[in-house]
Amino acid sequence: MIVKDVVCPFCGCLCDDVEVTVEDDRVVAVDNACTLGTSKFLGDHRLPGPIRRDGNGWKDISYDEAIRYAVDMLLDAERPLLYGWSSTHGEAQCVGVHMAELVRGVIDNTTSVCHGPSILAIQEVGHPGCTLGVVKNRADLIIYWGCNPIDAHPRHLSRYTRYADGFFLENAFRDRTVIVVDVRKTETANIADEFVQIRPGGDYAVLSALRAIVRGKTDTIPRSVSGVPREQLLRIARRCKEAKFGAFYFGQGITMTRGKYKNVRNAIELVDELNRHTKFTISAMRGHYNVYGSNEVNTWMTGYPFGIDFARGIAFYNPGETTAIDVLARRECDACLIVASDPAAHFPRPCVEHLAEIPVVQIDPYANATTAFCNVQIPVAVTGIDAAGTAYRMDGVPLRIRKVIESGYPSDEEILSRMYAMIQEVRSE
Amino acid sequence: MRVTLTVRPREKPFLPIEAETIVPRNFLDGTDTTVWRGNRELPLDAVFSVSVEGNAETAAEVEVVMRGDTALIKRVGEYMDAGRIVVEGDIGMHCGNFMSGGTIEIGGNADGWLGREMRGGSIICRGDAADYCASGYRGDKKGMTGGVVEVFGSVGDFAAEHLAGGTVIVHGSAGDMAGAEMHGGTLIIYGDCTRPCANMTGGTAFVHGTAYDMLPTFRRVGTIRREGRTFIQFTGDIANRGKGNLFVGDCRYMD
Ligand code: SF4
Repeated sequence: MIVKDVVCPFCGCLCDDVEVTVEDDRVVAVDNACTLGTSKFLGDHRLPGPIRRDGNGWKDISYDEAIRYAVDMLLDAERPLLYGWSSTHGEAQCVGVHMAELVRGVIDNTTSVCHGPSILAIQEVGHPGCTLGVVKNRADLIIYWGCNPIDAHPRHLSRYTRYADGFFLENAFRDRTVIVVDVRKTETANIADEFVQIRPGGDYAVLSALRAIVRGKTDTIPRSVSGVPREQLLRIARRCKEAKFGAFYFGQGITMTRGKYKNVRNAIELVDELNRHTKFTISAMRGHYNVYGSNEVNTWMTGYPFGIDFARGIAFYNPGETTAIDVLARRECDACLIVASDPAAHFPRPCVEHLAEIPVVQIDPYANATTAFCNVQIPVAVTGIDAAGTAYRMDGVPLRIRKVIESGYPSDEEILSRMYAMIQEVRSE
Repeated sequence: MRVTLTVRPREKPFLPIEAETIVPRNFLDGTDTTVWRGNRELPLDAVFSVSVEGNAETAAEVEVVMRGDTALIKRVGEYMDAGRIVVEGDIGMHCGNFMSGGTIEIGGNADGWLGREMRGGSIICRGDAADYCASGYRGDKKGMTGGVVEVFGSVGDFAAEHLAGGTVIVHGSAGDMAGAEMHGGTLIIYGDCTRPCANMTGGTAFVHGTAYDMLPTFRRVGTIRREGRTFIQFTGDIANRGKGNLFVGDCRYMD
């Protein structure tokens, strides 16, 4: 059977034109998706059932036992951390926030290690953004700054920018200019009309220089700014001002380098300045397929998008203090629930060392690097393959993620709801 | 009146303690108050051994002395309006949040957000202060609006971010982006720093040492003599309205 119009649950593009061939409740072929999406659909070697650490090995346990362990762990803890959430559906994230409030823990999602700084900047100066469809149909100038979509969001270029048709563009490929700004010549830079190479750590200065040029203050700009010649800066500023509709996309090249949210704020303020001359928008290249959703869910439930500390019964937010890396590196938390994420593969060593010292429960379909640090792992269905739910695309558009096979695994939402019900029962006693 | 709080040994020493109740005014009514360890509310004497000497009629007559392992005690002196707090060692995050009067003296180092959104009074830190010393809160347009923060060691990144009033003095060096977004007040750094006063719209900053990776959007005005030395004077940040004054002993650009 071929299932059409399936949404790919891998990156923030959430491509919704994927065709999946299913035989005997197994995905056997995938069309239209990129290699990243295809390999997710064809993923194999799931954990068959819950496991619990037993000396140097593992013991199979039932779902009931695993859930009981997780509930007891959270209820005993004085500062539990509930981390992950970006690769699961919004309904599960919603239960997670309720649970964090009830156990008075810290809840954080992967935003704090990717586009958290983008949100901090947006909180300072706002977000002149738009949907991907608007960019596809209208934008005649695209800037990719500190991101490499060919590798990280492979179909972004073909669906929305370089290779996409545009309703208001006669010959989109010819009429659209693509500028790539990065510290090295990436694959994406190879297909750009202009490549701007910045010295590592120099993004802020280049953005400031562009802002000053757009404001007409060119006289103070020196011969070269962070490796970019003055003439190129003047040319880029002119191209931006002359565009009919510009779209600025940025990635972790500016969010996770020196200056972090100040880089993003500077980029937003450049876009604000350009809007005095033409129409210009800016958006983040969000990574995990539903990381935007975790920000949405957290925000409409708590007022804050990530890094929320419920220790005192009310939501407190202060990235740098209430975010997972900081809580772990300071060895603050005394238990950790990890959902749909693999921190041991990405977090700094002191964080992972602390995970090894405290009780950890992981809810994830696959054995991963974090498995080595957890006491119990509960396998679940993969959203978009054997579980359905809601996810938010990188431009904030919510999409219904379909289920294409029946696997018998419970979804994240089912496991979390059972945990939440048990915690509610204990708390109400 | 002198209230001495000595931290008791803790079973889980890395769990932070939130103690915004440690403010001189609160001790006028006795020491029957609480602090938070993670998600547990505890009586003050479960975390500290408490001793009180003398009496006080007003908050200004109260001195709180904190001893022992105070490095993870957060929010001490929050909303403090009078009196004195002496921390003999290090202090945790958010010490002196929103304070409007009185003095906090820290013998060791201070963790992040020292004197966040401070309105008046003075904070003296004999050691180093971490990131966001004398800064604003996330997303806020205004940081410190009054008072004095003086750090004898060095400070981390984003010191005096959103500074709107008052004075911040750093005797050592500052990290990256000291005085970012500042629009009032005075920032003085006796050592070096990187990228000072990014996007400033007002206020005055002095860097006695070298400003590394100086932003290209500051306009060089000339030189001035101050405290027996020569400073290069800039106005900026011209990426913005550019009404701030920045004086640096020396600077290097990332070109
Ligand atoms: S670009 Fe992203 S969403 Fe689209 S198919 Fe590839 S991985 Fe999936």
